[in-house]
Amino acid sequence: MKQLLNQNPKILLISALLLGALFILPLVVTSPALMQIFILIILYAYFTSTWNFVGGFAGVLPLGHSAFIGIGAYTSTVLFQTFGISPWLGMIVGGLLAAMMGVVIGLPTLKLRGAYFALATIAVGEGVRVLVENVKQVGPLMINGPSGISIKLTENSFSAFQFDSKLPYYYIILAMLLIVLLLTYFMMNSKIGYYLAAGGEEPEAAEALGIKVSRYRLIAMAISCFLAGLGGTFYAQLMLYIYPKSILGLDLSFEIAFIALIGGRGTILGPVLGALLLRPVSELTRIYFGSMLPGLHLVIFGLILIVVMRYYPKGLVEPVKILLNKLFINRLGKQGGPDGTDSAEKAD
Amino acid sequence: MKMFKQLVVPVVALAMLAGSFGFAQAAPDTVKIGNIIPLSGPSASVGIQGKQAREMAVEEINSAGGIKSLGGAKLELLFADSKGDPTVGVTEAERMINSEKVHLLTGCWNSAVTYPTTQVAERYGIPFIVPVSVRDTITERGFKNVFRIAAKDGWWAKDQFVFLDDMKKEFNVDIKKVAFVYENGDWGVGFAEKWVDLAKERGYEVVLNEPYPSTASDLTPVVIKLKRAKPDVVFMTSNAADAILLTNTMAEMKVNVKAIISSGGGHADPSFLAAAGQNAEYLFDIVEWEADLNRPGLKETNDKYKKLYGHNLNGESVDAYAAMYVIKEALEQAGSNDPEALRKTLSEIQVCGGKVGLLAYDCIDFDESGQNKNASLVIVQTRTKGKEMDRITVWPKNVRRAGYTPVFPQPEK
Amino acid sequence: MLGIIEALINGILMGSIYGLTAVGLTLIFGVMKVINFAHGSILMVGMFAAYWFVILTGWNPYFAIPVVVPLLFWFGYYMQSFIIKPIFEAEKDVREPITVIIVTTGIWYVLDNLALMIFGAEFRVAKTSVTGQVFEFYEMYFLLPKVIGAGITMVCGIYLYWFLKHSRMGKAIRATSLDREAASLMGIKQAKIYNVAFGLGSACCGMAACVLIPFYYVYPTVGVPFDIKAFIIVVLGGLGSIPGAILGGIIVGIIENVGAQFMAATWTELLLYGVFLFVLLVKPSGLFGQKHDY
Repeated sequence: MKQLLNQNPKILLISALLLGALFILPLVVTSPALMQIFILIILYAYFTSTWNFVGGFAGVLPLGHSAFIGIGAYTSTVLFQTFGISPWLGMIVGGLLAAMMGVVIGLPTLKLRGAYFALATIAVGEGVRVLVENVKQVGPLMINGPSGISIKLTENSFSAFQFDSKLPYYYIILAMLLIVLLLTYFMMNSKIGYYLAAGGEEPEAAEALGIKVSRYRLIAMAISCFLAGLGGTFYAQLMLYIYPKSILGLDLSFEIAFIALIGGRGTILGPVLGALLLRPVSELTRIYFGSMLPGLHLVIFGLILIVVMRYYPKGLVEPVKILLNKLFINRLGKQGGPDGTDSAEKAD
Repeated sequence: MKMFKQLVVPVVALAMLAGSFGFAQAAPDTVKIGNIIPLSGPSASVGIQGKQAREMAVEEINSAGGIKSLGGAKLELLFADSKGDPTVGVTEAERMINSEKVHLLTGCWNSAVTYPTTQVAERYGIPFIVPVSVRDTITERGFKNVFRIAAKDGWWAKDQFVFLDDMKKEFNVDIKKVAFVYENGDWGVGFAEKWVDLAKERGYEVVLNEPYPSTASDLTPVVIKLKRAKPDVVFMTSNAADAILLTNTMAEMKVNVKAIISSGGGHADPSFLAAAGQNAEYLFDIVEWEADLNRPGLKETNDKYKKLYGHNLNGESVDAYAAMYVIKEALEQAGSNDPEALRKTLSEIQVCGGKVGLLAYDCIDFDESGQNKNASLVIVQTRTKGKEMDRITVWPKNVRRAGYTPVFPQPEK
Repeated sequence: MLGIIEALINGILMGSIYGLTAVGLTLIFGVMKVINFAHGSILMVGMFAAYWFVILTGWNPYFAIPVVVPLLFWFGYYMQSFIIKPIFEAEKDVREPITVIIVTTGIWYVLDNLALMIFGAEFRVAKTSVTGQVFEFYEMYFLLPKVIGAGITMVCGIYLYWFLKHSRMGKAIRATSLDREAASLMGIKQAKIYNVAFGLGSACCGMAACVLIPFYYVYPTVGVPFDIKAFIIVVLGGLGSIPGAILGGIIVGIIENVGAQFMAATWTELLLYGVFLFVLLVKPSGLFGQKHDY
């Protein structure tokens, strides 16, 4: 906590302003459809931040994160449908299951290098989806195979995690995002964070220095999967319907990776920035062009990926950092201190 | 300058987003119909056909003077691409209702999308017309705003077996062994569950019950298995890509069965017949509608459609086409575009003949659950006709194309 | 029993064709250390090219090879040099540039959806003189175009293997894939090598496309299932190894075909991922990979 308060006051000011803006946003935005979009933006920022623990700091590229999101979603939903257990409790169980699964998968795969790890995670993600689609029920637990599960509707109820208004969903996911961002911050400034960064690109060199890279990677993996599982429950409760092809699909895993890379992986604000940019872009292009000329919106989306990667290979965090420096921290020059945005360099 | 761009682009993008959600208002003299259908992704082919059918119908209605009881109000179509993904469908439904202020919704073809999307419409009290999405439970949740025109999967599966009974009687052929081959999605699995029960009731032996992944790149192993199981009749539920693969591979490997009965969808897709060609000879397919039905005005409408878009209408696009005329009729009768008034009118409406009469059903008449009571089905047989393939209606017998005798069982290859 | 033999042989035939697409992927990876996610889309481009060739000329589909294969080589060569190279250079000190992976994914989206815009979503089949021809053998049926396809794969594999071992360009490619810096110190122009590798990888897709067209259909996202299979295959065979890719393809084909005789086809998909993970864990270098790479 002390570290946090030792920040440059201007950075704190910007963060506080941003936070304040997010908290009062629902006062300005009243349309439920627009609220839904903002909730999804924050949810994707959350998913990407959980991904960041592995994909950002451990120097590997996971492309199967939907598996852990799906495990969280399915666990809480199945527990609620079968035993009436509150999704809040199911969320924790789901997170723990996802973390366990993450460790089981991480143990052997985290030793692999870039491409192998990426492909292994794709196989895990797809494997989980195929498994779920093939299973109708396990004992009393209805999985429903490819049809997915439609969550029983209840009245407006906190314990059942169902609300008529979008507002509670908004604040819940906002709080979840803040927690995960704080966790990211503390991890980056902890021993684990430094070790992960050291082992990111050259694990052999770090191992030679006596850092047990794979052990720290495993810890990062467990945290990441646990948090992703929690997000999965939120996703399920927001949509009240889980469908294996979308919650366990490759598309979701890829979108998370896109957001991370476009925003700036291995930084605190990268995922938020990426989600703020990519989500509205994909929604807008779909709304404006989706019905005009089928496929055009995805062409535009692909072009944006290519162009951003071409000019900002470290993600949009870079130009934003420069911009913020110009606007606010001019006098202090480039000595921004260990704030979130500077960490891009640290992670490399 | 660079800084300017960095600031301005996101701001403009956000403003556009806000604009698209916040300020869209319906002009007083139009009725807005939101359509959530798959325009990209694996079901794009059928989604695009649905869009074309809707556009043609609305163009006709508007050029004929719009809705007379609303002072000639025009219909306005808004399309949203669901990509076949339920979460996108839900988000789009929220946007259509809250931002575009649509008066009615239609869609979504993929049952998995229709199911949660209709839930959104129910919550906001916006009437939702489902031209075709077969999952039974869509109209079995006690919703008041959901109206389905086509039959539900229980009816489809049952009619396939009734058809088989009738054929056995008519041609005096004995059928003992049946095989089920279906895509491992919502749709295929839903059919297969019904088939298993129906086969049990009728005492058939199920020699193969085989789901396959709908994204499979090779279905040869399934066909080898099917051939070795030696069924008399094969029931299939396939999307277009797998329908093509299965039909071609079965012909090449000379799988001999007495009949193949498919379930519309991929087998009714115009590109299926073009791609499978003569390999689809003798195939029986169950559909809501067929171009050779003896209905007034059908030929002209189909010719017009073919001229505009290059292919025939099919069951699914006719359902979408008829949905627009049901909406027109409801608006005329309600004399209002208020969703609640429309809902009430739709729940009582009975539309017969006219453009709606292009369907295989005599009337559209929704029961309490919102299911069209009269949704009937026909079975067609595919035959070679010159260079093209022709789909000939054979069942029920009273609508069978004059002078045609179905080929049952199909000759050995 | 005959069913299993039939499935086995069909698995080998179809598997070789999977292998051919995987050869392209493995070649690109071996040199650039980049997984090309646009690989399936390049196959799709090849298939549309071969389709239109057959439809417009009405000739034997294998006559498309001398047109489509160079076309795809050119396509891959320039795609690398215009789109991928600048991004690759920005990250050239990183051993496995992740941004390039994302860029290839962007290319995948663009190509597939451009095809949707231009050709529409329908499925197209080219009826050719070999379409539907079968060999019959003790009630077992084998498709002629698949047999030809497997033969072509073998020829391509042997040719590429020879090319890499003995030609000047091949040696330069191998040197670059072993050690980028050392190779460029030896005077090998990296950029050119990357272009050629990408071109060759795409040309393999072009060849696979010509082989597929006589018995397959084409539509905008036809490449996706092949893409995911190719990823599995290259890891089975060892990233960077050409014999490995072909053998891996055959193994995948066999698992798919023979496996389905004992379980529902949906479970063979899972079996495939299981075998894949097992190989990754037990022998991450795959059947023929270099230990250096994982």
